[in-house]
Amino acid sequence: MKRFRIGTIFSYLILFIFAFITVFPFIYMILGGLMNFQETTSIPPTLIPHHFEWGNYAKVFAKAPFARYFFNTVLTASITTVVSLFNSLLGAFAMVNLRFKGKGIIQIVMLSLLMVPGEAIIFTNYNTIAHMGLLNTYVGLVLPFLTSIFYMYYLQSYFGSISETIYKAAMIDGASDWDYIWKILVPMSKSGLFTVGLLSFISGWNSFLWPLLVTNEDTMRLLNNGLTAFASDAGSETQLQLAAATLTVVPILILYFIFRKQIIKGVVRNDLKG
Amino acid sequence: MKTNQKKAWLFLAPTIIFVTLFSIYPILRAFGMSFQSGSLIDLTWTGFNNYKYIFSDPDFWLALKNTLLYAVISVPVGLAISIMLAWIIFDKVKHQSLFETTFFMPYVTSTIAIGIVFRYIFNGDYGMLNFLLRNLHMPAPDWIDDPAMSLTTIIIFGIWSSLAFNIVILMGALRNIDPNYYTIADMYGASGKDKFWRITMPQLVPTIAFLLTMNIIGAFKIYTSVYALFNGQAGVGNSGTTAVFYIYNKFQTVGTPGVAMAATVVLFLIILFATFLQRKMMKKIGEN
Repeated sequence: MKRFRIGTIFSYLILFIFAFITVFPFIYMILGGLMNFQETTSIPPTLIPHHFEWGNYAKVFAKAPFARYFFNTVLTASITTVVSLFNSLLGAFAMVNLRFKGKGIIQIVMLSLLMVPGEAIIFTNYNTIAHMGLLNTYVGLVLPFLTSIFYMYYLQSYFGSISETIYKAAMIDGASDWDYIWKILVPMSKSGLFTVGLLSFISGWNSFLWPLLVTNEDTMRLLNNGLTAFASDAGSETQLQLAAATLTVVPILILYFIFRKQIIKGVVRNDLKG
Repeated sequence: MKTNQKKAWLFLAPTIIFVTLFSIYPILRAFGMSFQSGSLIDLTWTGFNNYKYIFSDPDFWLALKNTLLYAVISVPVGLAISIMLAWIIFDKVKHQSLFETTFFMPYVTSTIAIGIVFRYIFNGDYGMLNFLLRNLHMPAPDWIDDPAMSLTTIIIFGIWSSLAFNIVILMGALRNIDPNYYTIADMYGASGKDKFWRITMPQLVPTIAFLLTMNIIGAFKIYTSVYALFNGQAGVGNSGTTAVFYIYNKFQTVGTPGVAMAATVVLFLIILFATFLQRKMMKKIGEN
């Protein structure tokens, strides 16, 4: 009995240490963004700022067009999410409910494309976008991401769990496929669509390499690219860097805390395909 | 049946068009470009020269070595820690979702932003980590500015970031294990250790295989976290360069897309091979 207790205490200790290590950078980032410069570089390090320097945020907005970065990021992440969700929805519907020649081949091609790492095609996609004259445009930023094989595949598993008799009954009642999609399929898989939307928006928000490639004008930058540029420009002003990092992270964290259940469930469901 | 045909293709049209243009075409194009030299607007056939070039380029070997070391160290360590934490949460904790929510945070937050925070925590002079290490009378290396430490720093950050996804997926798998197994084991007086190794681990094999694949693919693509840690560089003197860094550099900075694409093809083949090898291995373990 005594050994059991020591084991439990030890387990809890490990758990709390790792939980602390996970959370600490976030706390430190938020606190550091409210320190003055001396405090951020003091030895020993300051943990709680003596006086909360909210003015750091004003300085960040004054030094770099973060408002613009926010606008760009929300815009591109929203467009990508809505359009790719729409395309995946139609595609997944066809793959689940319609019968046609070549379905098997499409499925195999899509599945093998899931294996291709984005980094392997991102550079040639840059080439395509450059040829189209779309560098430094919103269209260029979103175009390659307007469809997602991954989300289509994900929705397929969702739609597959809806009984086919419902589709057949709808057809007998004279509904068109379009009616079926919007009046039955979408309402019935609302939670799945919502989760996919959330995950897509988050990954759009955090995108980095693609916007780094296709934009070089300050006004077209997304948050993360603006943040790295700011980190190099602001150089030694660590407190401003941390304030800017907080600006990038906190909106998504809020979204995450509100929808944590859906998000985690959605990610766990992904692995079913494994 | 006949009418279904046309309709189906209509519904699939947007996906097929975009996938062809931005997934299939670029793969073929990358492969083709790896045999061409010159700038993007003036490419000419050069045979295997790009491949010869990268294999005799010490930078490429360093990038490959770093990427491989990163994958080989961070993936198993990260996964082992994740299994341990997931098991503790599953086995001992009442408020599981609280810990799940906590550990999952790094998955949704920007690597760039957190990388900046880590750069600061890792700072050799005023960083929190070295403050702690000095107080514990342990060596306090210069994590960021010492080229010899670059890879270690990248690996630590990589492990930290990888726990999120792993733990959440493992928790899902643990919950799927039939609780009757444990009830029966308890009836026979099995110890916690026995239960873990004889019931939990064998049941987790498919999940671990899945996570290994995902983690290894992710590890080979490492770029953003290095960029964030070292402020746009690949460590001091390029000491922490990785495969994608090499590709980016050859493509964008040096302006030799052919060389970059040859490196891309090699990286892609390595990922395929690693995935294949690892699947084989896990199958063997699963059979035993």
